Amino acid sequence: MEKFLLRNIENPNSTDINEYIKAGGYKALLKAVEMKPADIVSEVRKSGLRGRGGAGFPTGMKWAFASADPKKPRYMLCNADEGEPGTFKDRPILEKNPHLLIEGMIISGYALEAEYGYIYIRGEYPAAKDILDAAIKQAHEKGYLGDNVSGKGVRFHLYVHQGAGAYICGEETALIESLEGKRGQPRIKPPFPVNEGFLSKPTIINNVETLANIPYIIEIGADAYAEIGSPDCPGPKLYSVSGHVKRPGVYELPMGITLREIIYDHCGGIRGDKKLKAVIPGGISTPILPADAIDCPMDFVNMPKHGSMLGSGAVMVFDETVDLVKVCYRAIKFFEHESCGKCTPCREGVGWMRAILERISGGSGTAEDIDLLIEVSNNITGKTFCPLGDGAAMVVQNFVKNFRSEFEEKIH
Amino acid sequence: MPKDIIIELTINGKNIKAEQGMTILQAAQKNGIYIPNMCYDRRLKPYGGCRLCVVELEGQKRLFAACSTPAEDGMIVHTETPKLAKARKTVLELLLVHHPLDCPICDKAGECDLQDLAFKYGPSQSRFTAERKHDPERVDAPIVERNPNRCILCGKCVRVCAEHQGVGAINLIGRGFKTKVSPAFEETLNCEFCGQCIDACPVGALGAKPYRFRSRVWYMDEYEAICPYCGCGCTTNLSLREGRIIRARGKDGIGINEGNLCGKGRFGFDYIYSENRITTPMIKKDGKLVPVSWEEALQYVAKRLEDIKGKYGPSAIGAIGSQRCTIEDNYMLQKFMREVVGTDNIDSVARFGYAKAQKALEKAYDVDFMPIKWKAPLNADFMLVVESDITSTLPVWGLNFIKAKNDGATLVVADVKETKLARNSTQWLRIKPGSGTALLNGMMKVIIDGGLYDKDKTSAVPNFDALTAGLKEFTPQAVSNITGISEDAIISLARSYAYPGKRLIALTSNISENTKSMNTILAAANLAILMGDDPDTVQVPAEFSNTAGMWMSGVRPLSGGKDVYDMLYEPGAVKALYIMGENPIVTFQDAARVEKTLKGLELLIVQDIFLKEAARIADVVLPACSWAEKEGTFMSATGNIQKTPKLVAETGQSVPDWKIFRNLARVMNKDLGLKDITAIRAAIADMIVSGETKDIRRSFNPASYEVMETVSEEYPMFLVTSNILQHSGALSVLSKNLDSVVSDAYLQVNTKDAKKHGIHDDAFVRVKSKRGEVYLKAMLSDEVPEGTVFAPLHFAHAKVNALTYPSLNGGLPLVAVSIEAA
Repeated sequence: MEKFLLRNIENPNSTDINEYIKAGGYKALLKAVEMKPADIVSEVRKSGLRGRGGAGFPTGMKWAFASADPKKPRYMLCNADEGEPGTFKDRPILEKNPHLLIEGMIISGYALEAEYGYIYIRGEYPAAKDILDAAIKQAHEKGYLGDNVSGKGVRFHLYVHQGAGAYICGEETALIESLEGKRGQPRIKPPFPVNEGFLSKPTIINNVETLANIPYIIEIGADAYAEIGSPDCPGPKLYSVSGHVKRPGVYELPMGITLREIIYDHCGGIRGDKKLKAVIPGGISTPILPADAIDCPMDFVNMPKHGSMLGSGAVMVFDETVDLVKVCYRAIKFFEHESCGKCTPCREGVGWMRAILERISGGSGTAEDIDLLIEVSNNITGKTFCPLGDGAAMVVQNFVKNFRSEFEEKIH
Repeated sequence: MPKDIIIELTINGKNIKAEQGMTILQAAQKNGIYIPNMCYDRRLKPYGGCRLCVVELEGQKRLFAACSTPAEDGMIVHTETPKLAKARKTVLELLLVHHPLDCPICDKAGECDLQDLAFKYGPSQSRFTAERKHDPERVDAPIVERNPNRCILCGKCVRVCAEHQGVGAINLIGRGFKTKVSPAFEETLNCEFCGQCIDACPVGALGAKPYRFRSRVWYMDEYEAICPYCGCGCTTNLSLREGRIIRARGKDGIGINEGNLCGKGRFGFDYIYSENRITTPMIKKDGKLVPVSWEEALQYVAKRLEDIKGKYGPSAIGAIGSQRCTIEDNYMLQKFMREVVGTDNIDSVARFGYAKAQKALEKAYDVDFMPIKWKAPLNADFMLVVESDITSTLPVWGLNFIKAKNDGATLVVADVKETKLARNSTQWLRIKPGSGTALLNGMMKVIIDGGLYDKDKTSAVPNFDALTAGLKEFTPQAVSNITGISEDAIISLARSYAYPGKRLIALTSNISENTKSMNTILAAANLAILMGDDPDTVQVPAEFSNTAGMWMSGVRPLSGGKDVYDMLYEPGAVKALYIMGENPIVTFQDAARVEKTLKGLELLIVQDIFLKEAARIADVVLPACSWAEKEGTFMSATGNIQKTPKLVAETGQSVPDWKIFRNLARVMNKDLGLKDITAIRAAIADMIVSGETKDIRRSFNPASYEVMETVSEEYPMFLVTSNILQHSGALSVLSKNLDSVVSDAYLQVNTKDAKKHGIHDDAFVRVKSKRGEVYLKAMLSDEVPEGTVFAPLHFAHAKVNALTYPSLNGGLPLVAVSIEAA
């Protein structure tokens, strides 16, 4: 497949605006500013693009909601707080192809009549921040950003804001709180950010990869774009593969490709030709799959039918040598560390799951512990303020469901 | 969202009605259906943290937090199901894992939400065992103690502080399980100490230090009383144990304050237990006050009054009433003076405070009392506050301004000081001290020149031409020079003020303030009349708990008697003075002159609860009962007449003020005919008009801008004075609790001025004006700009009023001073 999102990244000077333009960059922007904003929104809607942050919400629909709210100003936010364990798909865009994101944001800002954009980038990506800042400066100099974008009288200013190391700030309302200078905690929805977001104004938040798809849609048109990948869930997708494969890394492949293809065809199979034991297909909070379930097509529509979710497309591969109880324990430790503390079930419950897992993993668990673990997790699911607690509970539930025997073996 | 749309939903099989926009929890509460909760507070935005209020919605798999889910038409809600019971049980079980089970030594036990809910929904035993939290208790700050171990992180304290109080002294710090409530960097709490967080706390994580380990809650009886401090007229709930008040708190929904209290109302009650209380009558013998019997004291007073009356006539005797004594007390004072002594020389300190506002409003609207409207700020779209620190002087009413701003109204504050309202405003205009009158005049000039006023309504108002003539010199340029803000700012303020919507101008008229005069209030009234607005759009609150009631009961010259200016500043105007519940040496301006007048009197009778400066130089001192030791009635700034009960025994031989006058009249062989409080109330019933105003008659009254003192080379700075949040007049300084927050006078100096003069924080500064000099501790602060210093007036020993002077009419009593490091 022809690469789009990762186009040009082999070029050692890929972050330079001239190289980007040489490779066809900013053409989509020039095309877009000749279109009516509403037409861009309907084009994106027609393309079938779904948000690449993990939830897979149709981008065009989100945009249409925001356009329907008459309040002004509107804000365009990019969620670059890529913090889920296993996920590093946005990083190549941020570090190697920053102008693609910038172009995507300008087009989106124009389409949604937002004059200010913010890229909320995770604090642990300091290099990407510098690269983006430099790229934004270049875009200003070239006239793609500022008070008169491409001489068309369009206003768009773009800023990069660094997070301070909180996973929860990847949740869109917590991100907004953090961007406003407050403590990163999720807000009550409704109101949704499209109506009352940043500074209580209509705000569109899209993931880096989502925004990077926008120039492509404009460039080849919604119909051509909809042809790529799965019919219900089209487009190119970045898969960040880690763990026991021969060639881990970020792969741009069409939506709907199977896990098996990713692992065996593109990543060269399991390292040391060992046996595959399990795969987490979409970042740590998506349900773990046993080795025999990897023929599932990787997209937002089909993954739930196979017992998991596409999430961010962060594939974590575990071979037969892995102690999955320990993996589960480490995952929950992460959630405990990242729980913001706002709601009781997540703040206290995840800590308890960690304590029980620590016991089991350390060999001092009791026969009742596995059931207690499940019971605690059931009392988190559907009762927390935001999906972070749900994510943690789901990890435990699926690890136990698919690999209960491994847990039982630890109990003496 | 429109509130008038009524929706119907079903909760637990019961059909109920609710307003659109309500949450499920609000709809349930309105219909008397209980849903457990710990992080919900009526005053705050929904939070959704504790997850106890979860409910089931038919057709939905997930549970929903009732506090943050909007009620919808046709919704079917269940609040008590086995599934919910299990969810709540787990939440409580989880909360109790780390919560210390120190209920036997926790002051909250018995009225603790966690205890109650654990009893109702919680497990009998926990399946988890873990080390409990053991952070150190924080008792290093005054008044507020924090026990982070008991905290369940509902965040109510944080939100009530930031959202409702407009302060933000604490926040949640840390993340997840390690989250805790703390000031920044875990420093010692340094806030305004209102204590709202304590009342909001559902557990024992926040407590009032004065109440610490004083009682189990079930040993106490709780009574409602009216707060004795400011004109808000808040209801405070007093807890008594063995006849002693040991705690005051606000209770949700009770009183005009609906459960809100400021620090004075919550902690200031202990002044009644001050060591300074006068316990027996005293007569000066050989230059020393010696205790005597009531018999002797009253005989002495009667004889001396008769003597002076005989020698100089009744007009040589005067009386000063009290804004803090009850209506009954003040009524009996004036009745005694008028009927027994035969004098009309009756007045009070309000002459330099609220009376100025009354005089102005009488001119503008022809009414002598205009009560404020409690909810006026909440109904306004545009609020202008001119040189008034409302959240300090009427703190709970002031909260409505913050709430209105949070709800979307515009709040513009024009003040030299960075007040709390300035910090919470949409726009803060830092004008030069005392230039508010000029600003208001300048706004009117812009409005008239731009034709933005209500021409129909003003055409019938007399004096329009005089007004326009008087405004001639107040061009934007001239006003910019006076106020120090740009011409554009003045023009745009005037225009946005004139923009259609509900407008409001609020300002205070307090004795301690020297940046406003009667003319400032006249200017505000002119502006409101010009815009064709109702008199309600000018809100000037009466200052103290019974300022309005005192006025209504006739404590003021009614038939040409001498006012307080004559009595105190014109030596020899009276030969004898009867002072009830007032300490003129501290509260009146130009203290040296007042003291000289008092010392020159032939007879000074002081009837008070404390032995303070004026009492110490008196010939006779009569011990009066304090608030809570006597029954009585206050009339608040809103015109509400509220009874406050007798809750504790009298201190020593003290007697209610009204009773002293009754007894004294009897000793002087004149029965006033009113033997008890019921008879007094019956007698004053027709005299007092509760909050009702007669027909108003508008007129314009040009308000000139006259500064009585300007800065000079010798005195290059302006001194601004007013009340501060923690104190109220000279009364609150007798409260140990309030003194633990602010116990000493200070001088706020801008950091740049401090540097220029070599003044260090906490070091003494010599402050000099034409009238005197005082030494004050420096507080370096950018709340005041360069060239301006600020001092509160509460502290007698600081004698700040040695620097000031009074203004009876329209002149601005600005004080020019010089400062130097002492």
